[in-house]
Amino acid sequence: MNIIEATGIEKVYNPNKIAVHALNGVDLTIEQGEFTAIVGPSGSGKTTLLNIIGGLDHPTAGSVKVEGTDISTLNDNQLIDFRKEHIGFVFQAYNLIPVLTAKENVEFVMLLQKRSQQERETRSMELLRAVGLEDQVNKRPSQLSGGQQQRVAVARALAPKPTFVMADEPTANLDSKSTANLLDIMARLNKEENITFLFSTHDQRVIDRARRVVTLVDGRIETDETKF
Amino acid sequence: MIFKIAWRNIWRSRTRSIVVILAVMIGIWAVIFMLSFSNGMIESYIDNAIENQISHIQLHNPDFKKDQESQYFIENASGLEDDLRSQVEVESATVRSLATGMLTTSKGQRGVQIRGVQPTSEASVTKLDQKLVEGEYFDPETDNRILVGKSLSEELNLKIRSKVVLAFQSLDGEIIYAAFRVIGMYETDNNAYDESNVFVTQQDLNRLLGKENIGHEAAILLHSLDEIDPVQSRLTESRPDLLVENYAEISPEIELFNTQMQMSSTIIIVIVMLALIFGIINTMLMAVLERYKELGMLMAVGMNKVRVFFMIVLETLMLGLIALPLGMGLGYGTVSYLSKYGLDLSTYSEGMQEFGMSEIVYPTVNSGLYIQLGLAVLITALLGSIYPAFKAIRLRPVEAMRKV
Ligand SMILES: Nc1ncnc2c1ncn2[C@@H]1O[C@H](COP(=O)(O)OP(=O)(O)OP(=O)(O)O)[C@@H](O)[C@H]1O
Ligand SMILES: [Mg+2]
Repeated sequence: MNIIEATGIEKVYNPNKIAVHALNGVDLTIEQGEFTAIVGPSGSGKTTLLNIIGGLDHPTAGSVKVEGTDISTLNDNQLIDFRKEHIGFVFQAYNLIPVLTAKENVEFVMLLQKRSQQERETRSMELLRAVGLEDQVNKRPSQLSGGQQQRVAVARALAPKPTFVMADEPTANLDSKSTANLLDIMARLNKEENITFLFSTHDQRVIDRARRVVTLVDGRIETDETKF
Repeated sequence: MIFKIAWRNIWRSRTRSIVVILAVMIGIWAVIFMLSFSNGMIESYIDNAIENQISHIQLHNPDFKKDQESQYFIENASGLEDDLRSQVEVESATVRSLATGMLTTSKGQRGVQIRGVQPTSEASVTKLDQKLVEGEYFDPETDNRILVGKSLSEELNLKIRSKVVLAFQSLDGEIIYAAFRVIGMYETDNNAYDESNVFVTQQDLNRLLGKENIGHEAAILLHSLDEIDPVQSRLTESRPDLLVENYAEISPEIELFNTQMQMSSTIIIVIVMLALIFGIINTMLMAVLERYKELGMLMAVGMNKVRVFFMIVLETLMLGLIALPLGMGLGYGTVSYLSKYGLDLSTYSEGMQEFGMSEIVYPTVNSGLYIQLGLAVLITALLGSIYPAFKAIRLRPVEAMRKV
């Protein structure tokens, strides 16, 4: 089943001044359970594409359907609600609320979803255990390493039971050991829980772990390979 | 959890939050102090005026009020006095005779109000006997004795036993000249009053005016302010021939003074709150700009604008709510202390005495002020938070998080 159907995506920044054509007609479909990397040189449009698919930005042309909903027609407030229910986010940095503990950060989105205290409690503990942080639940982000913070971010992204998780260069600030560790966790969650991951990266070691690699060049898909 | 986040966010920039809390606290304290101070002044002014001069209720011949002429007297003064004293609410009452005249000495002359009083009952109504700073009070055995104000005596170089001549019109229209000897000098909190009022006995004045047992002014001191209305209406009914007035009617400037003070207090509150609003806006704007990325992330993961707005407003309110009890406590403490020990203004009080206020002010606060202030601070915090909160919800997550 296709959970993401992006067709004819174009994105032009600064249309009135010096226009930047970041995406020039991208078609991409993602199925449930994929583990896909978006790769390409700097400035090729990876972040732009992920933001549009993740409902953070509007495309200049084209449409994005997530589980059948055309999110390119939603207004800002509807998008916020849509993201809350359907999309998990892991960013390169600034993922966590600094004044909350790891566990509270994981609970946060569930709280926005008005989940019960009981459910928040069990699910956040379960997720933190899944990312190997059951000993760190009461630490604040500043007391955690960069790799640990990204693992909390993965747990947080999964908390709302999203349709898919988008991660824009989640390992860019990590050393190779933490990178490998984070990838292990993501791959395991993908395999065992059938969670769909869509991430961008520059890192060859991360690319090697992906099952499908979509390469962008100058805002177009140049290659799209699926490994078996 | 929004409460938890907001609360912890306040303490992220500890110094900045403490500064704004202190500012609000000092603002609250200043308002309480200033208002209690002016309140204390109003009260001392009113109390002074009531206890030393006008009493709670006065009765006059209605024509006397218009013309101030001695011919408009009240007959059977002693009967009226007995009648007034018999009312249960009345603490003390006296009837005086009044004449407008000229006081002449070898040094010069002054226009004065001559107040013919009954020594005992006058003392119980206006405490005239306690205001003597030199000499003695009236002695029933001797005639033609006069009490003059201290400031008048200084101007005219009067001493105890100095002789003065009073000139005024008698009831049949002739000008009377009568010699009096100074036996005492009094001083009230009101210099203007002291310079223009002299006291003789009612007996002497009535004899010179030419009629026994008359008076021009009856003054009543009641046990409490609350009794003014019932007593006033009862007297109005029982003495339709007389004009019965309460202190506010006798001295309308008291009311004026009161409303003016009230108005300037409101202005003070508004000014202080305005100053605080800008401080609050500044602080919260910094807090929002500093957390731009984080707010972008919160909105990215699904925190809607209403919640973000609410969070910023909540943080601001919390700052106000921390400052509020502190400022009020400080204000309350200051006022309690000062209302006990008073604030001595004798260094600056030259001018104040002219207006009938005492040198020591005892600040007082009516508890309504605390409620008013609480509301004012909440409104201030709300107003101060609106702009920063709007700033926060207008950000677009993608752009906020792109900025490095
Ligand atoms: N908000 C913006 N305004 C103007 N131009 C933008 C904006 N965001 C991105 N661009 C431009 O769009 C193009 C694509 O940018 P994008 O960030 O999507 O690339 P990327 O593949 O993610 O690059 P990187 O690997 O460096 O993260 C670039 O030329 C970039 O300069
Ligand atoms: Mg990028």
